[in-house]
Amino acid sequence: MPINKRQIILLIIFVIISLVLGCQGERKPIESRCDYDGVKIEPLYAVYFTLQDGAEKKFCSIACASMSFPALKKQMREVRVVDEPSGNKIDASQALFVESEVVTLPHVKNRIHVFAKKEDALKHIQKFKGNWVENPFFL
Amino acid sequence: MILNALSITMIFIGALSVLLTIGGGVSSFILYRKWRRPSTPEEKTSLEDRSYLVLLIMVIVLVIRLINWPLFYVTLQSFISDIEGAMCIFGVTQVKVSLTRFLEFLKPITFFLIGGWFILHILDRATKTSPLMGRKLLVLSFISLLVLMDAIGDILLMIGIVPESLVSCCTTITDISNRPTRTTPLSIFGPEYARPLRGLFFITHLALIGMIGLALKSRIFRRPVLGLLFLFSLLNALLFLLSQIEVFAPAMMHLPFHHCLYCLWQYVPDSIAMYLFFILGTFSVGWGFTTDLFGKIGEASSLLPNYVGKIYWAAFFFLSASFILLVIHLLLD
Repeated sequence: MPINKRQIILLIIFVIISLVLGCQGERKPIESRCDYDGVKIEPLYAVYFTLQDGAEKKFCSIACASMSFPALKKQMREVRVVDEPSGNKIDASQALFVESEVVTLPHVKNRIHVFAKKEDALKHIQKFKGNWVENPFFL
Repeated sequence: MILNALSITMIFIGALSVLLTIGGGVSSFILYRKWRRPSTPEEKTSLEDRSYLVLLIMVIVLVIRLINWPLFYVTLQSFISDIEGAMCIFGVTQVKVSLTRFLEFLKPITFFLIGGWFILHILDRATKTSPLMGRKLLVLSFISLLVLMDAIGDILLMIGIVPESLVSCCTTITDISNRPTRTTPLSIFGPEYARPLRGLFFITHLALIGMIGLALKSRIFRRPVLGLLFLFSLLNALLFLLSQIEVFAPAMMHLPFHHCLYCLWQYVPDSIAMYLFFILGTFSVGWGFTTDLFGKIGEASSLLPNYVGKIYWAAFFFLSASFILLVIHLLLD
């Protein structure tokens, strides 16, 4: 079948539409977006990685951060987590991690909770059948 | 049950499809059996009149079912905010896993068969003696069964998805290290599988477009060629899916460890156009084959090359469109 003018015009129109659609698809960065699965971050359960080059990665939960950690471990400078009772950011090496029946974020089934103070952690363990877990971001 | 405009629409068109399909499907089969028997001109005229009525009803149902496939996903998307733990369509599919999976598998098959049937219908209408009527009615009665299952499934799913259901979303399933989409290329290409997988998809996709172009230029529309191209397009579709999950979707989303296609549609909405083009392109290759398979009879045989040519032009167009969109994204990202 020979190519006629109509088909060429259609092809050009299609290319233009494709380009426009493609450009529109260039996703704008969202400030509070998890760098693992893209969901909106709830600050109380967030995890922050600071890499050697100063770049920062943020995650919605311990679960998402744990899944990204092995790939980024070599470039890692600092890992900060959020103390659940106070909402303060603390260094992961100084935090206490507890796994309990309470799910913080259902979409990733995250049951790991972060505490800065031992008494807060113990209270949570007693109340919600928790147990201690190791720091998942051991550098 | 989550009540919104979309779920009500789904239930309504589901119920309408069930009612019309039961009548239309049974009538199609009865008419097909009668069509095969020798009959007088008067009986033939009466049969034709009844067939046209049944076809008219079924055309309406089938058009609705074509729209139903994208509508299904739009409806699931609208449920996300009502399902606890759902962040994308994947989460919603976890409420009624088996039924949703069954419908997700059935819908493309139904879409493909309906599309193929419509092409046969158009081809038959272009003739004076309707040589394809018998086959059309037979295929229609088969499609009716699938449409019936699909429509009932839709209604059951819409009723079965309860608000405030607690689910876990894509991250817990699509990103695990032993997912089959990772282990399969890993076993073939090794740990650095992303680059060869991407290359292989580009090669097969461009080869498919090239072969379609070649078939159009030389007008080789013989059945074995069409069949082989259809099989090749299915292989290409498999590679498309694999490379999308493992390589392209994470790149397009700017989320290198996340492999959920539903999230891709959510974060990069124009990727839906790319998928639509790809599906239509792949299906068009198949429709070229099915049209040749069922349409080569009587008066329709002489019209067939022209129709297959048009279908192949559509395949060429859609597959190229999908490819260009993908390349634009990769270049921009």
